[in-house]
Amino acid sequence: MSFAQVDQRVLDTLHPASLRYWAVIALLFLGIMIGAGCWAYQIAYGLGVTGQSVPVMWGTYLVNFVFWVGIAHSGTLISAILHLFRAKWRNPIARAAETMTVFAVCVAGLFPFIHLGRVWMVYYILPYPNERTLWPNFQSPLVFDVVAISTYLIVSSLFWYTGMLPDLAAVRDRATGLRKQVFHILSLGWTGRFEQWRHYTRAYLFFAALATPLVISVHSVVSWDFALGIVPGWHSTIFAPYFVAGAIHSGLAMVLTLMIPMRKIFRYEDFITRDILDNIAKTIVFTGLIVGYAYGIEHFLAWYSHNIVEQESFRWRAAGPYSVQFWIMVICNSMVPLLFFIKKVRRSIPWLFGISILINIGMWYERYVIIISGVAHDFMPNAWGRFSPTMIEYGILMGSFCLFFFLFLLFIKHLPSVSMTEMKEALHKGEVHET
Amino acid sequence: MKPEKQVLGLFQDESLTAAAVEALVKTSWEVKDVHSPIRSDKILSALKVKKSKVGYFTLAGGIIGFLSGFGLAMYTGLQWNLIVSGKPVVAWIPYLIVGFEFTVLFAVLGNIAGLITQTRLPEYRSMRTYDPLCSGEHYGVLASCPEGQQEALITFFREKGGEAKLI
Amino acid sequence: MNRIFPALVIIGLGAFLFQVLGQHPEKAWQAYLVNFILWSAIAQGGLLFSVVLHLTKAKWGRPLQGLSESFAAFFPISFVLFLLLFPGRAYIFPWLGGDLHGKEGWLTIPFLFSRDAAGLLILYGLGFGYLYHGLKLKRSHSGDSEKTKEAYRSRMSVIGVLYIMAYALVLSLLAFDLVMSADPQWISTLFGPYAFVKAFYMGLGGLIIVAAVVHLRHGNASSLNPSHFHDLGKLFFGFCMLWADFFYCQFLVIWYGNLPEETNYIIQRTMTLPWSRLAWASFILSFVIPFLILLNKQVKTKPCFMIGLCSLVLVGIWLEHFLLLGPALCPKSDSLPIGVTDILITLGFLGLMAMAVRFGLGFFPELVPFKQEEVK
Repeated sequence: MSFAQVDQRVLDTLHPASLRYWAVIALLFLGIMIGAGCWAYQIAYGLGVTGQSVPVMWGTYLVNFVFWVGIAHSGTLISAILHLFRAKWRNPIARAAETMTVFAVCVAGLFPFIHLGRVWMVYYILPYPNERTLWPNFQSPLVFDVVAISTYLIVSSLFWYTGMLPDLAAVRDRATGLRKQVFHILSLGWTGRFEQWRHYTRAYLFFAALATPLVISVHSVVSWDFALGIVPGWHSTIFAPYFVAGAIHSGLAMVLTLMIPMRKIFRYEDFITRDILDNIAKTIVFTGLIVGYAYGIEHFLAWYSHNIVEQESFRWRAAGPYSVQFWIMVICNSMVPLLFFIKKVRRSIPWLFGISILINIGMWYERYVIIISGVAHDFMPNAWGRFSPTMIEYGILMGSFCLFFFLFLLFIKHLPSVSMTEMKEALHKGEVHET
Repeated sequence: MKPEKQVLGLFQDESLTAAAVEALVKTSWEVKDVHSPIRSDKILSALKVKKSKVGYFTLAGGIIGFLSGFGLAMYTGLQWNLIVSGKPVVAWIPYLIVGFEFTVLFAVLGNIAGLITQTRLPEYRSMRTYDPLCSGEHYGVLASCPEGQQEALITFFREKGGEAKLI
Repeated sequence: MNRIFPALVIIGLGAFLFQVLGQHPEKAWQAYLVNFILWSAIAQGGLLFSVVLHLTKAKWGRPLQGLSESFAAFFPISFVLFLLLFPGRAYIFPWLGGDLHGKEGWLTIPFLFSRDAAGLLILYGLGFGYLYHGLKLKRSHSGDSEKTKEAYRSRMSVIGVLYIMAYALVLSLLAFDLVMSADPQWISTLFGPYAFVKAFYMGLGGLIIVAAVVHLRHGNASSLNPSHFHDLGKLFFGFCMLWADFFYCQFLVIWYGNLPEETNYIIQRTMTLPWSRLAWASFILSFVIPFLILLNKQVKTKPCFMIGLCSLVLVGIWLEHFLLLGPALCPKSDSLPIGVTDILITLGFLGLMAMAVRFGLGFFPELVPFKQEEVK
């Protein structure tokens, strides 16, 4: 494959879209509008329209929040951490993965607003001098969240944009008309001069090195929303690495869910080879084992501690009214990925796609089980309760998925979804090795 | 002052480009620019460029971030000045997280500042002497020579294995 | 040079016997337990490096894989040392004979020793299996077909995966049984992962020291070059931060929750004298100093310097083991319970480890990274 072929293949995907594409976009937009409508209804009538009530004050909005932040993390793992490890197999998927990160963080960032109820008061959380002489409590994990998620959003967006600069220049050079003008502005006059490359490479390395600790810290901060409280089932020291591993687990599954149709429709089979999908599947086995280990350790130590509250909390999780969700979680997250030990399964596209969907369902239910069962069944028996989501919450859940896929579909048709520059670098390194 | 002519040499191979640059540096003609579609260590070492200073901006950003993260958290804690849930008013253990996130954020902002100031992007002037082929599979070497020597320069590029065109 | 390590072993053994037969046998057994865990961890983590590199098909560290596999020579010694913990059980298990409020099913001597011994046997057996096939692969020459080599590699992969799973489970089990149980009322779900991340951190440190010694001794004849040390140094830096992060995860959650059944452990070890001195010393030696120094690129490529830095880190973790176990095993001490005999016993263990690695590299010269034909 030559550089010109790389360019041609990627730029071909940017040709004007078919009617089918716009129909899907319209459908997704409809889904977003339904979600927005549900939110508007909630703003008008208050948080009571959700299933949240004493004692379960955190419902599917927190589940969705953690779910989407988790999805975001593996994008940064692929584009930043694998860059530091010099793993060349990441090059074809890095762009789409980083895009997934940016959009997932955007969707996740909506949920603290949705969960707030009285959205117009959200500015209270910002540290600015005010007449009420109030300041946010920087000791609270919720404020850590604000800092961490905003940092992650800003850093990911800048990393994404900076990474795209040489590609935007390549599109500019081959586009005509309005598209040429738009990309002329977007590419900031990038000409690939040695001076530009000199500073760019160094800056990109620092970006990767700075995004790496964010992968660990941001989801650790999110996990501490739960672990820093004293709720049984939440107050556990393993939460930070457990949530980070789970985030990467669900994110890699989402990468598979997105890449497999994309490579089929855009005919990227030469770029996003089966070897790459194989590597992703192997990493999923690893994260699945970590998640399974965490499940086992928590239950074991709950028994070991002989703390009756802790023991009851874990018993209820597995055998109580939410046991269906619990077993979906255990089977989909820690057992189903074990199928990826079999090479045939890793190499089969339908299996990869199917298992990735199951993992995402399982990971959503994991957050559901942890969050809901934690507060529904804690210290005082007469404070025990239940929770079930209402239609409004389902509407907003659907709206969030529609928003994510809407943004992603818009991206792949209007911006280069495979990084031409990194593909060329991988080809070049390959040639150098062969000679 | 003698008017200058600029010639752009286009190559399809990185080693040929690097060799041409090395040879060009030894002549009296000036290498104005080298465009490439991907990062090239060979070309950078042929041009003998120094290490980029972007890192200093990143470091400065990181230090500012660390101090402001802790500073903001400590200042706001002291303003409220009441003991909340048994924890000290100024507690470095949770403030580490705020400090850490601010460090990363400001280091990235410093990184961007360094990138913008050092590369001087956005910058559209160099597009005048640029060939769109250079973002595809060609490497471009822009050299300048005094009036009258452009034919020699074009021949020089052709000898080194590339095409040449007058700008 | 050949005599020094056996001499250290004899000195260590002598110091141990002197202490055991003296007035405070619990100090001897405490030092023994600390060192058993520390040196076994270095060996277990050291071998893990080769397994991880094999499974990720990484090529950058090929010469280093043999050196890391030589740590497996310590495995049999470690197993015997574990069995020898039995005579000291009254001193290393403070819960013996006490009221365990329900934990008696789990914390009983026969069950504990048999499950831990079984775990170690499985882990070490898998390690040897990996080593065996690795040596078969290294010893296969171009005469052997590609198919046999591929068979060795795939067997190494299967055993490697099992080793990683056994590593996580067995090291967690040992951490819970030998260290966490010393304070039977306290639990931390992250304690197991904390132990095995610490073990990998130490294994990397040990590997850097051995690689540096090989490089210094053989110079150009070894196929180790500065880029190997640079990459190894970066990995070491990463795990330095991961170890500190795992420590902080536990510390933050317990500090913030402020539940008395959890905070007692932390307060005793980090906020009251004399143990807080150990806590700060360990933190500075094993995190602050390596973090600040390893930010610099050049430092990682200087073998002499890295030997010093890694030794410092290992001393810091050695102090941390005393910190975790000390308040439980020697509750009444007002001063730090580290004396001359502890250091001598540690030197004895160091001698054992050095002899094991020496033996491994001597008996299996394929493990030493000499410049030779590339065995693909």
